[in-house]
Amino acid sequence: MFKFDVMAQDFIGILMVVPKTLLLAILILFLSTILGGVIALIQQYRIPVVVQVVKVFKSFLRGTPAVVLLYLMYYALPQIAHLLLKIVGVEFNPHNLNPVVVVIVTFSLTMSAFQSEIIRGAFMSVSEGQIEAAHSLGYNFMQTLSRVIMPQALMEALPDFLNSYMVIIKALSLAFLITVVDIFAQAKIMGAMSFRYLEAFVAAALIYWLISAILTALINRYELRLRKAY
Amino acid sequence: MLDIKYMLEITPSLLSVLHVTLIILIASSALGLGLSILVTAIRIKKVKYLSQVMDLFISFTRSVPIVLQLFLMYYGFPFLLSMIGIHVSDFSAAAATVLALTLYNAGYLSEVLRPAYLAVEKGQHEAADGLGYTPFQKFTRIIAPQVIPIALPGWGNALVYLIHDTSLIFTIGVADIMGVANTLISSSYGAHQIEIYLTIALLFWAITFSADTMVRIFEKRAAKYNLSNGIAPKKKAKRKMRILVQKGV
Repeated sequence: MFKFDVMAQDFIGILMVVPKTLLLAILILFLSTILGGVIALIQQYRIPVVVQVVKVFKSFLRGTPAVVLLYLMYYALPQIAHLLLKIVGVEFNPHNLNPVVVVIVTFSLTMSAFQSEIIRGAFMSVSEGQIEAAHSLGYNFMQTLSRVIMPQALMEALPDFLNSYMVIIKALSLAFLITVVDIFAQAKIMGAMSFRYLEAFVAAALIYWLISAILTALINRYELRLRKAY
Repeated sequence: MLDIKYMLEITPSLLSVLHVTLIILIASSALGLGLSILVTAIRIKKVKYLSQVMDLFISFTRSVPIVLQLFLMYYGFPFLLSMIGIHVSDFSAAAATVLALTLYNAGYLSEVLRPAYLAVEKGQHEAADGLGYTPFQKFTRIIAPQVIPIALPGWGNALVYLIHDTSLIFTIGVADIMGVANTLISSSYGAHQIEIYLTIALLFWAITFSADTMVRIFEKRAAKYNLSNGIAPKKKAKRKMRILVQKGV
């Protein structure tokens, strides 16, 4: 039978790793946004050669499942790090690479494609009149970007960023494959300890649902405020 | 460095299990589409109680990671059946996979279909009613041709996500490409992991690429139904982008 007391225990046990998961997701969101911004800029200015490389990179990311990429990185990243550091002259043992680093790098890469689309869309949403007005007031390029475009684009992109945050939290559930413990991995561990997997998984699902509900409420409130402002 | 010859050598053995992935993919995308139409209809017609249940179902499929949904289905479905008196002794992982992916795809798709349906102007409904179309005629001749071009890009995305998620079915023990990868790794004593996973990545890239191409062909064929009254906003965005590029912003 389904035991609710076991589930309650699992629930509390899983809650312990929620802060770690959320922090990891924030870090990935931050890194992928920076990378996505760079990609968006490259695509915006159509820098020759680089833009084609970015195009293939994005197509590859769209075509490859995160699990495959995660495993690929798990085995390839230590080698890459080893080779790169050898050039600089630093001795690095490929077996010393922490799997958490692999998770961060992999998901930052996969999310960067999404983030670049969001950033592009946000920049598009700033109306031309704003830019023309800034130019007519004698703002130079950097001033226009930092004082007129960026604030408006950021406001526009924030709900989408929160959505990406949820996507990252969900994607982290794959981290258990390379021994990083997040919400789902903790559920598996708790289930294995009590031999009651179903209770642990239901508890984990409830936690994900809760996080998602909180984030959705935040997004809705923010969008309501945005609409009021105009 | 990379052993290309080995990659070519293992491709046939990886391709030999591709049908598992494809069958699960086709089954769950077809069933998912059917279910999503049902869910969308329930939500649009605001059927009492059922509509709330569907909202709950969609929020569940969208907020819980797909791996967890797979595990929940694998462990939870036999339990649910036993509660209503049906005892399943061997619930296969493949069945659990198809069920879980169908629900997941339906949840995602109904969020694509609902806005697409609502995007069709009220005047279109009224005009069809005014011309004496029966509800069935109205749907097949007026509404559906306008819904399809709007929904197609979203459907394409759902299909790509589904392709990605079929790569997870090995976690509950379905012997697909990833399962073969594990066998290959142990038979090569862990010497060729990078080559094996790179080959799989390229295979998935090919599958996604062909799916994208298929959707694009559909989109082209459906484009003739596109009305110029704002249903096709793509051109506008492109023009705006070009202007921004010219201005150097």
